[in-house]
Amino acid sequence: MKTPLIAAVSGTLISLLATGAQAATYAIDPTHTFVVFEIDHFGTSTNRGRFDKKEGTVAFDRAAKTGKVEITIDTTSVNTGTAPFDQHLKSDEILKTGTFPTAKFVGDKFKFNGDKVTEVAGTLTLLGKTNPVTLKAGKFNCYMNPLLKREVCGGDFETTITRSQYGVSYGLDWGFPDAMKLIVQIEAVKQ
Amino acid sequence: MRCMAGIFLGAWLGTAIGQPVTYQLDPAHSWVHFEVEHFATSTLRGRIGPVRGEVVWDSRAGRGEVGLTIPTASVDTGLKILDTRLRSAELLDSAAFPDAWFVATVFRHDPARPVITAVRGEFTLHGVSQPLELTAERFGCRRPADGSPEVCGGDFVAELKRSDFGITFGLPFVADRVVLRVQVEGIARR
Repeated sequence: MKTPLIAAVSGTLISLLATGAQAATYAIDPTHTFVVFEIDHFGTSTNRGRFDKKEGTVAFDRAAKTGKVEITIDTTSVNTGTAPFDQHLKSDEILKTGTFPTAKFVGDKFKFNGDKVTEVAGTLTLLGKTNPVTLKAGKFNCYMNPLLKREVCGGDFETTITRSQYGVSYGLDWGFPDAMKLIVQIEAVKQ
Repeated sequence: MRCMAGIFLGAWLGTAIGQPVTYQLDPAHSWVHFEVEHFATSTLRGRIGPVRGEVVWDSRAGRGEVGLTIPTASVDTGLKILDTRLRSAELLDSAAFPDAWFVATVFRHDPARPVITAVRGEFTLHGVSQPLELTAERFGCRRPADGSPEVCGGDFVAELKRSDFGITFGLPFVADRVVLRVQVEGIARR
């Protein structure tokens, strides 16, 4: 019994040494992580909304250039500033939050430029339907947060989804576009 | 057919007469969104509004007047503790300065079309007035099919330094440069 345990421990040590101990787990900082969507309004202006509740984790290894991110979004927390618009978004005509209270992004294909993440590809599950999405980084950085006294990594990411792929076709007939831009702010604290 | 004829006649009259039209801001589609960089890493966003006010616009003469009121205590970032901090005396000081204002009389137009491309005026925030130009990323007017009044609006963008308005808390970790993204739609008053 002793031998396998020692082997397992030393195996872990070796892999830690091999990666320069850079593989780390980060917890999503919900105060600096938001998903904002933008969608055209009658060809005139842009409607914006935000999902306020979310949680998740990020593990990434700057040396090995790998990572995994999982973010769960509470779709009932949609917030446009206009209560009737929020109610409509939550209704069975659009997000169906009664049946599908969460959406989930799982990203496991990280692209790097040096030690900066440039792209995270994975899947988005929304209204029970899963489709591939790629989040492109507008910027990415890691810094030592003086209040938390821990390393924080994060950035700005964007993607455009086709909402009909998730079964959201409300208003398409009147010219509301199918393409919807998602703008993601994310920061995660090293654990 | 009569409905279509009405729309064309209305559009033609609007252009031909060229009288100034007063547009009342639609509270469901008139918001200021701000963006500011956090620790040079990610972009912190918030929303203030709805923006109240009116725009008088003479599309033919290429002139207009804007008077907008922005209630600062309405700031909403999705985070109550941050909203409370933003309203406090350290930042927006909403108790002392409950409203910000944008007033403007300089309009820039697309030479080929009756489209506003920029509006230049004065922005008063935190009791300080500074010149500010809002540039249109897009602008358009529509006449709803149900015969309700014309709606004009668009997406405007502006940049300011918050320190110019005496708002310096959190510098330099939270950047000085603030980007304003303004969604605005106005309904023609009959």
